Amino acid sequence: MKTYWIKRFWVIGVGLLPFAWSCQPEPDSIKLLDELVVSTTYDNAVDFQTYSTYSIATDTLGFVSNQANDTILIQAKTDYPRPVLQKVIGNLNALGYTKVNKSDNPDMRINVYIVNDFNLFQQVIYPDYYYPSYYGYGYGYGSYYAYPYVNTYATNTGSLVIEILDLKNVTPDNKVKVIWGAYMGDVYSTIDLIKQSEKAIDQAFVQSPYLHK
Amino acid sequence: MMKRHLTIFFLCIAGLTQAQDNYFYFNWDVNVPLVNKTWISSTSTRGAKLGFRKFIGTESKFSAGLDVNWAYYQDYKPTETFQQPGGAITTDYFNDIFQLGIAANGQYYFPVGNREHFFPYAGIGLGAGMNSYTVSYNIYTEEENSWGFLARPEAGILVRIGTRRKLGLMAAAHYDFSTSKSVSYGYDNFMNAGFQVGIMLMQW
Repeated sequence: MKTYWIKRFWVIGVGLLPFAWSCQPEPDSIKLLDELVVSTTYDNAVDFQTYSTYSIATDTLGFVSNQANDTILIQAKTDYPRPVLQKVIGNLNALGYTKVNKSDNPDMRINVYIVNDFNLFQQVIYPDYYYPSYYGYGYGYGSYYAYPYVNTYATNTGSLVIEILDLKNVTPDNKVKVIWGAYMGDVYSTIDLIKQSEKAIDQAFVQSPYLHK
Repeated sequence: MMKRHLTIFFLCIAGLTQAQDNYFYFNWDVNVPLVNKTWISSTSTRGAKLGFRKFIGTESKFSAGLDVNWAYYQDYKPTETFQQPGGAITTDYFNDIFQLGIAANGQYYFPVGNREHFFPYAGIGLGAGMNSYTVSYNIYTEEENSWGFLARPEAGILVRIGTRRKLGLMAAAHYDFSTSKSVSYGYDNFMNAGFQVGIMLMQW
Protein backbone atom coordinates (compact mmCIF):
# COMPACT_ATOMS: atom_id res chain seq x y z
CA MET A 1 0.00 0.00 0.00
CA LYS A 2 2.83 2.36 0.95
CA THR A 3 4.65 1.62 -2.31
CA TYR A 4 1.44 2.35 -4.22
CA TRP A 5 1.15 5.86 -2.76
CA ILE A 6 4.86 6.58 -3.16
CA LYS A 7 4.50 5.74 -6.86
CA ARG A 8 1.42 7.92 -7.20
CA PHE A 9 3.10 10.88 -5.49
CA TRP A 10 6.15 10.45 -7.69
CA VAL A 11 4.02 10.48 -10.82
CA ILE A 12 2.00 13.51 -9.68
CA GLY A 13 5.16 15.33 -8.59
CA VAL A 14 6.93 14.76 -11.89
CA GLY A 15 3.77 15.73 -13.74
CA LEU A 16 3.44 19.01 -11.88
CA LEU A 17 7.07 20.06 -12.34
CA PRO A 18 6.62 21.37 -15.88
CA PHE A 19 3.38 23.02 -14.81
CA ALA A 20 5.13 24.94 -12.03
CA TRP A 21 8.07 25.84 -14.23
CA SER A 22 5.87 27.05 -17.06
CA CYS A 23 4.37 29.88 -14.99
CA GLN A 24 4.94 33.46 -16.11
CA PRO A 25 8.38 34.87 -15.28
CA GLU A 26 8.15 38.39 -13.87
CA PRO A 27 10.73 40.87 -15.15
CA ASP A 28 13.61 41.30 -12.71
CA SER A 29 12.52 44.27 -10.58
CA ILE A 30 16.08 45.04 -9.50
CA LYS A 31 17.06 45.58 -13.13
CA LEU A 32 13.92 47.58 -13.82
CA LEU A 33 14.23 49.89 -10.85
CA ASP A 34 17.95 50.56 -10.70
CA GLU A 35 17.70 53.31 -13.33
CA LEU A 36 15.14 56.04 -13.86
CA VAL A 37 13.50 56.36 -17.24
CA VAL A 38 14.78 59.61 -18.75
CA SER A 39 12.59 61.39 -21.28
CA THR A 40 13.44 64.77 -22.79
CA THR A 41 11.55 67.11 -25.09
CA TYR A 42 12.58 70.39 -26.67
CA ASP A 43 11.34 73.15 -28.93
CA ASN A 44 13.25 72.51 -32.16
CA ALA A 45 12.59 76.06 -33.33
CA VAL A 46 14.83 77.36 -30.55
CA ASP A 47 18.55 77.98 -31.00
CA PHE A 48 19.95 77.27 -27.55
CA GLN A 49 23.27 78.88 -28.45
CA THR A 50 21.62 82.31 -28.31
CA TYR A 51 21.01 81.92 -24.57
CA SER A 52 23.71 82.72 -22.05
CA THR A 53 22.46 83.07 -18.50
CA TYR A 54 20.04 81.25 -16.21
CA SER A 55 18.66 81.43 -12.73
CA ILE A 56 17.72 78.51 -10.48
CA ALA A 57 16.79 77.88 -6.86
CA THR A 58 19.59 76.44 -4.78
CA ASP A 59 17.88 74.60 -1.94
CA THR A 60 14.26 74.21 -2.94
CA LEU A 61 12.41 71.84 -5.26
CA GLY A 62 8.85 72.33 -6.33
CA PHE A 63 6.37 69.65 -5.32
CA VAL A 64 3.18 69.16 -7.29
CA SER A 65 0.76 66.60 -5.93
CA ASN A 66 -2.88 65.76 -6.28
CA GLN A 67 -2.94 64.76 -2.66
CA ALA A 68 -0.56 66.64 -0.37
CA ASN A 69 -0.75 70.32 0.50
CA ASP A 70 3.02 70.81 0.31
CA THR A 71 4.20 72.73 -2.73
CA ILE A 72 7.93 72.71 -2.08
CA LEU A 73 10.64 70.38 -0.81
CA ILE A 74 13.34 72.21 1.11
CA GLN A 75 16.82 71.09 2.03
CA ALA A 76 16.18 71.69 5.71
CA LYS A 77 13.60 68.89 5.72
CA THR A 78 15.05 66.44 3.21
CA ASP A 79 18.52 65.92 1.80
CA TYR A 80 17.18 65.46 -1.72
CA PRO A 81 16.96 69.04 -3.18
CA ARG A 82 20.60 70.15 -2.90
CA PRO A 83 22.35 67.27 -4.74
CA VAL A 84 19.69 67.37 -7.46
CA LEU A 85 20.01 71.12 -7.98
CA GLN A 86 23.79 70.98 -7.83
CA LYS A 87 23.76 68.34 -10.55
CA VAL A 88 21.56 70.50 -12.78
CA ILE A 89 23.75 73.56 -12.17
CA GLY A 90 26.91 71.54 -12.86
CA ASN A 91 25.58 70.32 -16.19
CA LEU A 92 24.39 73.75 -17.32
CA ASN A 93 27.70 75.33 -16.38
CA ALA A 94 29.57 72.60 -18.25
CA LEU A 95 27.52 73.44 -21.34
CA GLY A 96 28.68 77.04 -21.18
CA TYR A 97 25.74 78.73 -19.53
CA THR A 98 26.22 81.14 -16.64
CA LYS A 99 24.22 81.10 -13.43
CA VAL A 100 23.04 84.51 -12.31
CA ASN A 101 20.61 85.88 -9.76
CA LYS A 102 16.96 86.18 -10.59
CA SER A 103 17.32 89.97 -10.37
CA ASP A 104 20.05 89.98 -13.06
CA ASN A 105 17.58 89.47 -15.91
CA PRO A 106 18.59 85.90 -16.93
CA ASP A 107 17.83 84.45 -20.37
CA MET A 108 16.44 81.24 -18.90
CA ARG A 109 14.70 80.16 -15.73
CA ILE A 110 15.30 76.58 -14.59
CA ASN A 111 12.42 74.94 -12.76
CA VAL A 112 13.03 71.70 -10.94
CA TYR A 113 10.15 69.92 -9.25
CA ILE A 114 8.60 66.60 -8.34
CA VAL A 115 5.23 65.60 -9.69
CA ASN A 116 3.50 63.17 -7.39
CA ASP A 117 0.59 61.28 -8.87
CA PHE A 118 -1.38 59.51 -6.19
CA ASN A 119 -4.20 57.37 -7.48
CA LEU A 120 -6.77 55.56 -5.48
CA PHE A 121 -8.84 52.87 -7.12
CA GLN A 122 -11.90 51.36 -5.59
CA GLN A 123 -13.68 48.34 -6.88
CA VAL A 124 -17.01 47.10 -5.62
CA ILE A 125 -17.14 43.31 -5.39
CA TYR A 126 -20.53 41.67 -5.57
CA PRO A 127 -20.24 38.10 -4.30
CA ASP A 128 -22.47 35.48 -5.87
CA TYR A 129 -26.01 36.07 -4.80
CA TYR A 130 -26.63 32.40 -4.31
CA TYR A 131 -24.63 29.97 -2.29
CA PRO A 132 -25.60 26.94 -0.21
CA SER A 133 -27.55 27.75 2.88
CA TYR A 134 -25.97 26.99 6.23
CA TYR A 135 -29.22 25.46 7.30
CA GLY A 136 -29.87 23.33 4.27
CA TYR A 137 -32.85 23.43 2.02
CA GLY A 138 -35.01 21.72 4.59
CA TYR A 139 -34.94 24.83 6.78
CA GLY A 140 -36.71 26.82 4.15
CA TYR A 141 -33.82 28.94 2.84
CA GLY A 142 -32.24 28.00 -0.46
CA SER A 143 -29.99 31.03 -0.73
CA TYR A 144 -28.74 34.24 0.86
CA TYR A 145 -27.90 37.66 -0.41
CA ALA A 146 -24.28 38.51 0.28
CA TYR A 147 -23.31 42.08 0.98
CA PRO A 148 -21.02 43.72 -1.59
CA TYR A 149 -17.67 44.90 -0.32
CA VAL A 150 -15.09 47.38 -1.57
CA ASN A 151 -11.52 46.58 -2.54
CA THR A 152 -9.15 49.54 -2.43
CA TYR A 153 -5.92 49.83 -4.39
CA ALA A 154 -3.48 52.72 -4.33
CA THR A 155 -0.64 53.65 -6.63
CA ASN A 156 1.88 56.34 -5.89
CA THR A 157 4.16 57.41 -8.69
CA GLY A 158 6.43 60.37 -9.07
CA SER A 159 8.59 62.08 -11.65
CA LEU A 160 11.47 64.47 -11.28
CA VAL A 161 10.97 67.28 -13.78
CA ILE A 162 13.44 69.87 -15.04
CA GLU A 163 12.20 72.67 -17.27
CA ILE A 164 13.96 75.49 -19.04
CA LEU A 165 11.75 78.54 -19.42
CA ASP A 166 12.46 81.13 -22.11
CA LEU A 167 12.75 84.49 -20.35
CA LYS A 168 14.10 86.20 -23.44
CA ASN A 169 10.75 85.95 -25.15
CA VAL A 170 8.17 86.69 -22.50
CA THR A 171 4.83 87.44 -24.14
CA PRO A 172 3.17 90.82 -23.57
CA ASP A 173 0.72 89.16 -21.17
CA ASN A 174 3.68 87.83 -19.14
CA LYS A 175 3.60 84.21 -20.32
CA VAL A 176 6.78 82.19 -20.74
CA LYS A 177 7.40 79.17 -22.90
CA VAL A 178 8.98 75.87 -21.85
CA ILE A 179 11.75 75.27 -24.40
CA TRP A 180 13.27 72.13 -22.84
CA GLY A 181 11.95 69.55 -20.42
CA ALA A 182 13.32 66.43 -18.77
CA TYR A 183 11.07 63.91 -17.05
CA MET A 184 12.61 61.21 -14.91
CA GLY A 185 10.71 58.47 -13.10
CA ASP A 186 9.73 56.72 -11.08
CA VAL A 187 11.26 58.46 -8.05
CA TYR A 188 9.16 56.50 -5.55
CA SER A 189 10.42 53.08 -6.62
CA THR A 190 14.14 53.65 -6.66
CA ILE A 191 16.86 51.60 -5.05
CA ASP A 192 19.04 54.65 -4.35
CA LEU A 193 17.06 57.83 -4.97
CA ILE A 194 19.78 60.47 -4.90
CA LYS A 195 22.35 58.49 -6.88
CA GLN A 196 19.81 57.44 -9.52
CA SER A 197 18.45 60.98 -9.78
CA GLU A 198 21.94 62.39 -10.32
CA LYS A 199 22.66 59.79 -12.98
CA ALA A 200 19.34 60.52 -14.68
CA ILE A 201 20.04 64.26 -14.74
CA ASP A 202 23.40 63.63 -16.41
CA GLN A 203 21.66 61.42 -18.97
CA ALA A 204 19.03 64.09 -19.68
CA PHE A 205 21.76 66.48 -20.77
CA VAL A 206 23.72 63.80 -22.64
CA GLN A 207 20.72 62.94 -24.79
CA SER A 208 20.15 66.63 -25.60
CA PRO A 209 23.19 67.46 -27.75
CA TYR A 210 21.56 70.65 -29.11
CA LEU A 211 21.65 72.12 -25.60
CA HIS A 212 24.85 74.17 -25.36
CA LYS A 213 26.14 77.69 -25.53
CA MET B 1 -30.14 -17.39 -32.24
CA MET B 2 -28.81 -16.73 -28.78
CA LYS B 3 -25.28 -17.49 -29.93
CA ARG B 4 -25.61 -14.92 -32.76
CA HIS B 5 -26.87 -12.26 -30.35
CA LEU B 6 -24.01 -12.91 -27.97
CA THR B 7 -21.51 -12.70 -30.81
CA ILE B 8 -22.94 -9.36 -31.92
CA PHE B 9 -22.94 -8.13 -28.32
CA PHE B 10 -19.29 -9.03 -27.75
CA LEU B 11 -18.31 -7.53 -31.08
CA CYS B 12 -20.04 -4.29 -30.05
CA ILE B 13 -18.27 -4.31 -26.68
CA ALA B 14 -14.97 -4.91 -28.44
CA GLY B 15 -15.71 -2.06 -30.84
CA LEU B 16 -16.59 0.31 -28.01
CA THR B 17 -13.48 -0.63 -26.12
CA GLN B 18 -11.41 0.07 -29.18
CA ALA B 19 -13.22 3.34 -29.69
CA GLN B 20 -12.28 4.37 -26.15
CA ASP B 21 -8.55 4.16 -26.86
CA ASN B 22 -7.20 7.52 -25.92
CA TYR B 23 -4.51 9.33 -24.00
CA PHE B 24 -4.03 12.50 -22.02
CA TYR B 25 -0.65 14.16 -22.04
CA PHE B 26 1.14 16.95 -20.27
CA ASN B 27 4.40 18.14 -21.74
CA TRP B 28 7.13 20.59 -20.95
CA ASP B 29 7.59 22.70 -24.06
CA VAL B 30 10.78 24.49 -25.10
CA ASN B 31 10.40 27.02 -27.91
CA VAL B 32 12.58 29.17 -30.12
CA PRO B 33 11.13 32.25 -31.82
CA LEU B 34 11.84 32.38 -35.55
CA VAL B 35 10.71 35.89 -36.51
CA ASN B 36 11.62 39.46 -35.47
CA LYS B 37 14.55 38.29 -33.37
CA THR B 38 15.60 41.86 -32.67
CA TRP B 39 12.58 42.10 -30.39
CA ILE B 40 12.89 38.68 -28.74
CA SER B 41 15.45 36.03 -29.58
CA SER B 42 15.83 33.99 -26.40
CA THR B 43 14.70 30.40 -26.18
CA SER B 44 11.67 29.94 -23.97
CA THR B 45 11.93 27.13 -21.47
CA ARG B 46 8.75 28.23 -19.75
CA GLY B 47 6.12 26.50 -21.77
CA ALA B 48 3.74 23.61 -21.51
CA LYS B 49 1.19 21.77 -23.53
CA LEU B 50 -1.64 19.55 -22.43
CA GLY B 51 -4.11 17.69 -24.51
CA PHE B 52 -6.32 14.74 -25.15
CA ARG B 53 -6.27 12.46 -28.18
CA LYS B 54 -8.60 9.66 -29.13
CA PHE B 55 -7.84 6.92 -31.61
CA ILE B 56 -10.09 6.52 -34.61
CA GLY B 57 -10.81 3.11 -36.07
CA THR B 58 -9.76 -0.28 -34.91
CA GLU B 59 -6.17 -0.25 -36.12
CA SER B 60 -5.10 2.78 -34.05
CA LYS B 61 -3.47 4.39 -37.06
CA PHE B 62 -5.18 7.73 -36.64
CA SER B 63 -6.13 9.91 -33.72
CA ALA B 64 -7.81 13.25 -33.24
CA GLY B 65 -7.85 15.56 -30.27
CA LEU B 66 -7.62 18.96 -28.68
CA ASP B 67 -4.70 20.70 -27.05
CA VAL B 68 -3.80 23.85 -25.21
CA ASN B 69 -0.26 25.19 -25.12
CA TRP B 70 1.41 28.23 -23.68
CA ALA B 71 4.90 29.69 -23.61
CA TYR B 72 6.60 32.73 -22.14
CA TYR B 73 9.43 34.45 -23.95
CA GLN B 74 11.47 37.16 -22.30
CA ASP B 75 14.46 39.28 -23.30
CA TYR B 76 16.23 41.94 -21.28
CA LYS B 77 17.40 44.94 -23.27
CA PRO B 78 20.19 47.01 -21.70
CA THR B 79 19.89 50.77 -21.44
CA GLU B 80 19.30 52.38 -24.79
CA THR B 81 18.46 55.90 -26.00
CA PHE B 82 15.67 56.30 -28.53
CA GLN B 83 15.86 59.57 -30.43
CA GLN B 84 12.50 60.89 -31.60
CA PRO B 85 11.43 64.09 -33.31
CA GLY B 86 11.36 66.66 -30.53
CA GLY B 87 13.10 64.59 -27.87
CA ALA B 88 14.58 61.34 -26.67
CA ILE B 89 13.97 58.61 -24.12
CA THR B 90 16.52 56.48 -22.31
CA THR B 91 15.74 53.31 -20.43
CA ASP B 92 16.49 49.64 -20.07
CA TYR B 93 13.53 47.34 -20.54
CA PHE B 94 12.13 43.84 -20.80
CA ASN B 95 10.30 42.51 -23.84
CA ASP B 96 7.87 39.72 -23.08
CA ILE B 97 5.63 37.55 -25.20
CA PHE B 98 3.01 35.29 -23.74
CA GLN B 99 1.87 32.81 -26.35
CA LEU B 100 -1.32 30.81 -26.01
CA GLY B 101 -2.62 28.27 -28.51
CA ILE B 102 -5.80 26.22 -28.68
CA ALA B 103 -5.91 23.66 -31.49
CA ALA B 104 -7.82 20.71 -32.82
CA ASN B 105 -5.40 18.15 -34.17
CA GLY B 106 -5.05 14.90 -36.05
CA GLN B 107 -2.24 12.33 -36.15
CA TYR B 108 -1.12 9.39 -38.23
CA TYR B 109 0.85 6.64 -36.42
CA PHE B 110 3.55 4.89 -38.38
CA PRO B 111 3.53 1.08 -38.18
CA VAL B 112 6.81 0.42 -36.45
CA GLY B 113 7.78 -2.86 -34.76
CA ASN B 114 5.19 -4.83 -32.83
CA ARG B 115 3.23 -1.66 -31.92
CA GLU B 116 3.40 -2.38 -28.21
CA HIS B 117 5.93 0.13 -26.93
CA PHE B 118 6.78 2.74 -29.55
CA PHE B 119 4.28 4.78 -31.51
CA PRO B 120 5.91 7.34 -33.80
CA TYR B 121 3.49 9.77 -35.34
CA ALA B 122 3.12 12.87 -37.50
CA GLY B 123 0.22 15.25 -37.34
CA ILE B 124 -1.09 18.74 -37.62
CA GLY B 125 -3.00 21.06 -35.30
CA LEU B 126 -5.22 23.89 -36.46
CA GLY B 127 -6.78 26.49 -34.21
CA ALA B 128 -6.39 29.91 -32.68
CA GLY B 129 -3.28 31.54 -31.29
CA MET B 130 -3.02 34.55 -29.00
CA ASN B 131 0.13 36.54 -28.45
CA SER B 132 0.45 39.14 -25.73
CA TYR B 133 3.37 41.53 -26.32
CA THR B 134 4.55 43.48 -23.28
CA VAL B 135 7.28 46.05 -22.79
CA SER B 136 8.22 46.76 -19.16
CA TYR B 137 10.47 49.66 -18.21
CA ASN B 138 10.90 50.91 -14.66
CA ILE B 139 7.37 50.75 -13.20
CA TYR B 140 5.67 51.25 -16.54
CA THR B 141 4.27 48.66 -18.97
CA GLU B 142 2.82 48.73 -22.45
CA GLU B 143 0.88 45.76 -23.75
CA GLU B 144 -0.69 44.67 -26.99
CA ASN B 145 -2.72 41.49 -27.51
CA SER B 146 -3.58 39.88 -30.81
CA TRP B 147 -5.31 36.72 -31.93
CA GLY B 148 -4.73 34.83 -35.14
CA PHE B 149 -5.10 31.55 -36.97
CA LEU B 150 -2.70 28.87 -35.75
CA ALA B 151 -1.23 25.98 -37.78
CA ARG B 152 1.11 23.52 -36.12
CA PRO B 153 2.70 20.53 -37.86
CA GLU B 154 4.16 18.11 -35.35
CA ALA B 155 6.12 14.86 -35.29
CA GLY B 156 6.69 12.81 -32.20
CA ILE B 157 6.73 9.49 -30.46
CA LEU B 158 4.73 7.86 -27.69
CA VAL B 159 6.58 5.41 -25.52
CA ARG B 160 4.61 2.92 -23.54
CA ILE B 161 6.70 1.94 -20.54
CA GLY B 162 5.01 -1.44 -20.07
CA THR B 163 2.05 -3.11 -21.69
CA ARG B 164 0.22 -3.29 -18.36
CA ARG B 165 1.00 0.28 -17.30
CA LYS B 166 -1.11 3.29 -18.08
CA LEU B 167 1.75 5.70 -17.82
CA GLY B 168 3.87 6.52 -20.82
CA LEU B 169 6.32 9.06 -22.11
CA MET B 170 5.92 11.39 -25.01
CA ALA B 171 8.29 13.55 -27.03
CA ALA B 172 7.57 15.73 -30.05
CA ALA B 173 8.99 18.46 -32.22
CA HIS B 174 6.69 21.10 -33.66
CA TYR B 175 6.63 24.21 -35.78
CA ASP B 176 4.01 26.86 -35.04
CA PHE B 177 2.76 29.49 -37.44
CA SER B 178 0.27 32.06 -36.22
CA THR B 179 -1.19 35.04 -38.08
CA SER B 180 -1.21 36.94 -34.78
CA LYS B 181 0.41 40.28 -35.62
CA SER B 182 1.60 43.36 -33.79
CA VAL B 183 2.15 46.53 -35.77
CA SER B 184 3.64 48.33 -32.76
CA TYR B 185 6.34 45.72 -32.18
CA GLY B 186 7.01 44.69 -35.78
CA TYR B 187 5.32 41.30 -36.08
CA ASP B 188 3.47 40.46 -39.29
CA ASN B 189 2.94 36.97 -37.91
CA PHE B 190 4.54 34.75 -35.29
CA MET B 191 6.54 31.61 -35.92
CA ASN B 192 8.37 29.37 -33.53
CA ALA B 193 9.86 25.90 -33.40
CA GLY B 194 9.61 23.79 -30.29
CA PHE B 195 10.46 20.54 -28.63
CA GLN B 196 8.33 19.00 -25.95
CA VAL B 197 8.69 16.09 -23.62
CA GLY B 198 6.35 14.82 -20.96
CA ILE B 199 4.09 12.16 -19.65
CA MET B 200 0.90 10.61 -20.95
CA LEU B 201 -1.83 8.60 -19.38
CA MET B 202 -3.07 5.95 -21.74
CA GLN B 203 -6.40 4.28 -21.93
CA TRP B 204 -5.83 1.35 -24.19
